[in-house]
Amino acid sequence: MIIFATSDKGGTGRSVTSSNLVYRQALQGKDACYLDFDFGSPTAGAIFDLSDVQAGSDGDGLHSYLAGAIPEPRRINVWAETQRESLRNRPAGVGRLTLVPSDRGRGEFPSTPGIVQRCVELLVRADEEYDVVLVDLSAGRSYATEIVLEATARPELADVEARWVVFHRWTRQHIVAAGSLVHGARGILDIGTAHGHKRAELAEKVRFVRTAVLDPAASDQAALRPEQLVWLDVCNMRLKDLAVTNKVGQVKLLGIIPLDPVLQWQEQLLTNDDVWLHRTANERTVNAFEDLAKKIVDVDAWEGL
Amino acid sequence: MQIKPRQQLLDIWRATARVSYRDGWVPGGLGGSNSISDAEQLLCIMAPATEIPLFRLDQPDTVTDDVLEALRPLGDNLQIPQRLLRALYDYLHRYTAADKITPIFSGGTYFSPEQGGDKVEQEQLDMDVVDSFSISVTLTLAIIGFTKVFRQVVTRAALLRQVEEVEQMANRRLTAAMAGLLRSFTVNVFTADSPFGQELVRTVNQERRATHVVVDELRLALREINARLRDDVTIGSGASEGSELDNPNRLFECGWSWGVVRDAPKIETSAEVGEQRDGVAQNAPYLYFTTVALDAIQALSSERTRLLGLLDPEQARLAQSLQLRFELTRSYWTTIATFGSGRWPLEDLPWRATDGIEFDYFSLLISGMVMQSMLAVRATNANLRRVADVLEELANRSRITRRSTEPETAVGVHFPGLHFPLEGSDALGGPGLQWTVADISPTLFKRTLNLASMTTDGPTRSRMLELSDSIWQHLSIRVIRHGDDHGLWDWAAGAYAYLPNGGSQVSWYYTKRVVDCLVNAANVINEPPLRSELLLQIAADLLNEADHLYDRELLSGIAIRGEALRVDLERVGAELKRARAVYRERPGVAVAVAEEVLRKLDRLAAARRADIG
Ligand SMILES: Nc1ncnc2c1ncn2[C@@H]1O[C@H](COP(=O)(O)OP(=O)(O)OP(=O)(O)O)[C@@H](O)[C@H]1O
Ligand SMILES: [Mg+2]
Repeated sequence: MIIFATSDKGGTGRSVTSSNLVYRQALQGKDACYLDFDFGSPTAGAIFDLSDVQAGSDGDGLHSYLAGAIPEPRRINVWAETQRESLRNRPAGVGRLTLVPSDRGRGEFPSTPGIVQRCVELLVRADEEYDVVLVDLSAGRSYATEIVLEATARPELADVEARWVVFHRWTRQHIVAAGSLVHGARGILDIGTAHGHKRAELAEKVRFVRTAVLDPAASDQAALRPEQLVWLDVCNMRLKDLAVTNKVGQVKLLGIIPLDPVLQWQEQLLTNDDVWLHRTANERTVNAFEDLAKKIVDVDAWEGL
Repeated sequence: MQIKPRQQLLDIWRATARVSYRDGWVPGGLGGSNSISDAEQLLCIMAPATEIPLFRLDQPDTVTDDVLEALRPLGDNLQIPQRLLRALYDYLHRYTAADKITPIFSGGTYFSPEQGGDKVEQEQLDMDVVDSFSISVTLTLAIIGFTKVFRQVVTRAALLRQVEEVEQMANRRLTAAMAGLLRSFTVNVFTADSPFGQELVRTVNQERRATHVVVDELRLALREINARLRDDVTIGSGASEGSELDNPNRLFECGWSWGVVRDAPKIETSAEVGEQRDGVAQNAPYLYFTTVALDAIQALSSERTRLLGLLDPEQARLAQSLQLRFELTRSYWTTIATFGSGRWPLEDLPWRATDGIEFDYFSLLISGMVMQSMLAVRATNANLRRVADVLEELANRSRITRRSTEPETAVGVHFPGLHFPLEGSDALGGPGLQWTVADISPTLFKRTLNLASMTTDGPTRSRMLELSDSIWQHLSIRVIRHGDDHGLWDWAAGAYAYLPNGGSQVSWYYTKRVVDCLVNAANVINEPPLRSELLLQIAADLLNEADHLYDRELLSGIAIRGEALRVDLERVGAELKRARAVYRERPGVAVAVAEEVLRKLDRLAAARRADIG
């Protein structure tokens, strides 16, 4: 299955959440692969703690491959090359965890038939080799998004399970922007239809994930005053209504990732050690990653109404 | 109120989902699976989902997190409505005859032989019963409301087909249930000196006056009801008796029998309701079934039914006929129960029915009808208080508010319940059957709470709220504590320690009634609080004084003398503004705020005096 991760705006938590998702999937025994298509700001290297690709690879990454400069992009075995001690002790029974980085210091580029063709080949191969392939697109309406929409409309990818996940924060502006990114003018559905997707079918393949959500009901919000909690509750209710009108309501919701103190300070993978040993990360966050990792590849969970 | 409807309903949902859903909806429970019990089980989920906005399940977009958590065994927000739909479909299917059209309203395992041990014939178990007509009305109205909203978010063709099929089956069942109710309505006419007549006269004649005077007065009081029964009741059962009513010396009673009345004519309808089977039930009203039928008919004419346009034209026509019988029955029993100028017959506990059976439970059922009439005519607080007295007395006598530590017959009404014979049930062969009711506590709770919200008299309201708290207390110690069905009802030994300790299997009959209590309580809590004129006056006066003192402080100019003081006074100003804004709706809040403001202002005044001294 290929999952295309996008977001309404920059800085929503798309890369961090996606990285944690593939990490969890590998832990759950699946072969997982992360393709960094965020050509403008490749950050996956930093999140996986890979010292030589902190801000992208050097001439042998995805950008160079798509541009036609090299026959194959570089693949990094995260378990082996990460600097993080707790990741290197790869537990038995886990799946492969591969990062295909982008290149440092490049920008976006418009699609050409050659690029789309290479993209198709890359995705077909990745889908054959891995159980889950996660493609981190960039935020908003981007060339990367257009390229993959074009690629997935091609017959070579017709039989591949392709899904779209839009990450957004739980605020008014993000809710409106997330709805618009999918349903608005020149949004995913518009562009997809223009490239030969069937609108209704494509719409069924899009789901939303809310990131860094403050849950007023959680016990660690005890520091909030009662008035603040009441207000948050009202706010939450209004946001829910707003989400429904913008078609990003619970019917299309795949998961909610709580606001986490560790992630607020640092872009990283949350290991079980962070929860149990260092006790810095919240168990709730890891559970949310874990659940989402299961749900996102569960075909039944994608069955709409 | 001690009762916390939201939390408690969620607890019940959690238990219901846990017990009922194991890879599919499993009907059953104490008393076995039948068309009534299975509907009661479904209504444990569907009733709150229909009646309370926060519990709606038909809009997967707005389901709240605590609801989702409670219904976890049923899946996530998308699976819950689909699996419920499946369960509803299975129910409608299970209770449809082999011709795939005729809905079945059989009493099944809720029937029992009058003489324990007699073997009940299958044909008897299959007999339609008014309880099933009534609960089917409630359930199908819930289903139709659910599908009408849910279908709007459905896009998958297969799912949409399923929604439509369920809606169609529910509509057919609803129409058939209404036809059934029209065929089980009964007018029992008798002469004043027949045994029925003597019982009726005894009941209404509280002042022990001459019989012929009382009969004349009673006929006079019932004249209008009499005329409408004769002229307006033209279809279904109860229509042919109309002409008899005008004969001299005739008395009557009306309401619902236990099933389709013997020789009841078929209802002519353009709708597809399947076969209308012949009835066998006695042509005389049963108080229990009358009450049950009235509740169902009330749901048919409820605001929700009208607003959502749940009825099709043919159903609306039948509903109108039922509404007429509803009003006549309600007025009839109110007239009887409050007849005379002294003590009401209702106040003479226990109520004695015309067949000579007497139960406190009957007094409770009659109180319910009297209250429904009082609601319609906006009764005086004095009259409501008299009903309140009756309810309190009933709670006492049935050992709900009074302790019972030694075995005593009064507890039989809770366990094993009251039995009454179903006359005519042996017409198809087999032994005479009886019906069992054990719902005095939840019914009393509902009536108490209704009365609390009807009265505008503070003390009566407090009394009724206190009483409902005690009844709730009683109900909550009867929840099953151990075994698979924990969290559901009924475990009577929880309240009466000497009762057999067994019976830890869920009774959907009872649990559904507890759910109704909670739904009722939620509705009452949602009403605005009763406003006290006295508090309103105090609030107004306090606010005037506070305003005045505040203006004086401002005039003194101290506000410009320091940041801290200015902020303080601004806060006082904001508080006063808040108090003004709410005082009409919530004078109590305004009083509290004004008092605090006055105290603050007085501190300033006191400090000023210290300066001079
Ligand atoms: N659950 C969370 N709780 C708190 N902070 C979070 C959470 N998820 C992500 N963040 C933080 O939000 C910031 C943005 O995250 P991230 O870089 O993943 O966003 P992005 O959508 O990939 O942004 P860009 O569009 O720039 O690539 C980071 O600092 C990250 O650590
Ligand atoms: Mg990123």
